[in-house]
Amino acid sequence: MGLLSILRKLKSTPDQEVRILLLGLDNAGKTTLLKQLASEDISHITPTQGFNIKSVQSQGFKLNVWDIGGQRKIRPYWRNYFENTDILIYVIDSADRKRFEETGQELAELLDEEKLSGVPVLIFANKQDLLTAAPASEIAEGLNLHTIRDRVWQIQSCSALSGEGVQDGMNWVCKNVSTKKK
Amino acid sequence: MAAMALRRLLLRYFPPGIILEYVEGVESKTKSIDLLDLRPDTDVTALVEEIQKREPLITASCLEHVVCLVQRLQEKLGEKQNHKFSLFKVLRTHILPLTNVAFNKSGSRFITGSYDRTCKLWDTASGEELHSLEGHRNVVYAIAFNNPYGDKIATGSFDKTCKLWSTETGKCYHTFRGHSAEIVCLSFNPQSTLLATGSMDTTAKLWDLEKGEEVATLNGHSAEIIALSFNTTGDRIITGSFDHTVGVWDVGTGRLLHTLIGHRGEISSAQFNWDCSLIVTGSMDKTCMLWSAVTGTHIATLAGHSREVLDVCFDYAGQRIATASADARVYNAGTKQCIAKLEGHEDEISKVCFNPKGNCILTASSDKTARLWDAATGHCLQILEGHTDEIFSCAFNYKGDTIITGSKDNSCRIWH
Repeated sequence: MGLLSILRKLKSTPDQEVRILLLGLDNAGKTTLLKQLASEDISHITPTQGFNIKSVQSQGFKLNVWDIGGQRKIRPYWRNYFENTDILIYVIDSADRKRFEETGQELAELLDEEKLSGVPVLIFANKQDLLTAAPASEIAEGLNLHTIRDRVWQIQSCSALSGEGVQDGMNWVCKNVSTKKK
Repeated sequence: MAAMALRRLLLRYFPPGIILEYVEGVESKTKSIDLLDLRPDTDVTALVEEIQKREPLITASCLEHVVCLVQRLQEKLGEKQNHKFSLFKVLRTHILPLTNVAFNKSGSRFITGSYDRTCKLWDTASGEELHSLEGHRNVVYAIAFNNPYGDKIATGSFDKTCKLWSTETGKCYHTFRGHSAEIVCLSFNPQSTLLATGSMDTTAKLWDLEKGEEVATLNGHSAEIIALSFNTTGDRIITGSFDHTVGVWDVGTGRLLHTLIGHRGEISSAQFNWDCSLIVTGSMDKTCMLWSAVTGTHIATLAGHSREVLDVCFDYAGQRIATASADARVYNAGTKQCIAKLEGHEDEISKVCFNPKGNCILTASSDKTARLWDAATGHCLQILEGHTDEIFSCAFNYKGDTIITGSKDNSCRIWH
């Protein structure tokens, strides 16, 4: 990728390019989701200390997806990446009930960010392959998603591991990009 | 005209030259005699005669001394270098990926920029962190020492500001505000009186270091400026832009002198050669171009790469050019012929540089390795392995016996 490629992906993108920010707590499955989107091997994924960027073609768009590490000590740096974001994807580990409050808090703070104001948000209720996973409806309720009124939003249950539900989410992304970009 | 008197002669190893300190009237001045073509087997007597003819300050009384200096330069050039580099230290105090790295002139200190919004100053010999320069509100991307002095550090950030720091104390002297987008390149002028910054806002700015004020805005590009560089004398600056062109500006007036038009893709890199006669540019259009720095006319296109050219540089003497793409290449700046292909990296090469002596080339790649190459033959001399993610930046110290590499894996490595 190199620093120069990062600069190219940083500038305001032409109509056919979409900048997607992938956020969520550590171990939510962001990198697995990113690799699933890029059809890459997902068997050896380690915690992201910085960021990963991949470009994927979908429905006539070039989706530049930025996967940002979610560990607590590096969450204050999420802000480094807000500029020119077209779509926010927020990933939740649906089986990690102990941290629903924490993840809800982080999401609420993101939605308050000026640089992300009005940016459509897709919430992936990930890890539905686990038996203990909470259904998307329960998460939506727990996180009070229905109170989001300043932007379009969607919650989509998925398994980044199996790929189930991922494409449905990305369809929503492309649909909502097209209304914004065109 | 005031009388001129030579005070003393100094050596400059890279590029080879002799510096004359002299007094004119009451003023103390310096000038240099560049010996860019000097080789270990150059006829010293003939060369010194030539120098004497050209330079009135060199009188019969100091000829012996000049001969001695030239011989020292030749010895330096002739030194066999089979230094094997090995890992000395891994520095892990940045908590997010590194951006750029830079040495001071003597190589005693170096700096690293990071996504963690800091720039750190390190002691090269011990690997100890001397200062963490904190205050930016976003990624610290572009960094520089005011070489050859090295007493100041400049940092350019995605927070749209640039800061000037004291190397000694780590205190911030000035914060330069005015750009309306990320600052991604910067450079001190050789006199260390000005700082130039290039931004994604399509402008470059010149700042007065003493006053802490903006001196000029270089307005003319229609897209992001991602590279800039002063010439050796400091009276010209070039800006490379995503608008496919390079601007040549007069530093004194801030006026655009030439626009180098010809590339069919974004510019990735642009540099003057030592004697300020040539400009080399690299582009996403897979080519490099050579231009006359004086007239701004196109001289040659260095084609051959099959992918985007991500970096390009002259050697210290300005006689050869190294280019980075999927592979790296070395060209003769005079004949424009490709001298060597540096093949072996398994992913794109994002940075390339010569060692000061010019016999060795260092490349940094997305394949997580840095490699050393023989500049004449293109043979890979060494693979520096250990980083666990892409290497974004690399640098040689002036002596050429220490290398630093900065990586997306959040670490910086020192190699001896």
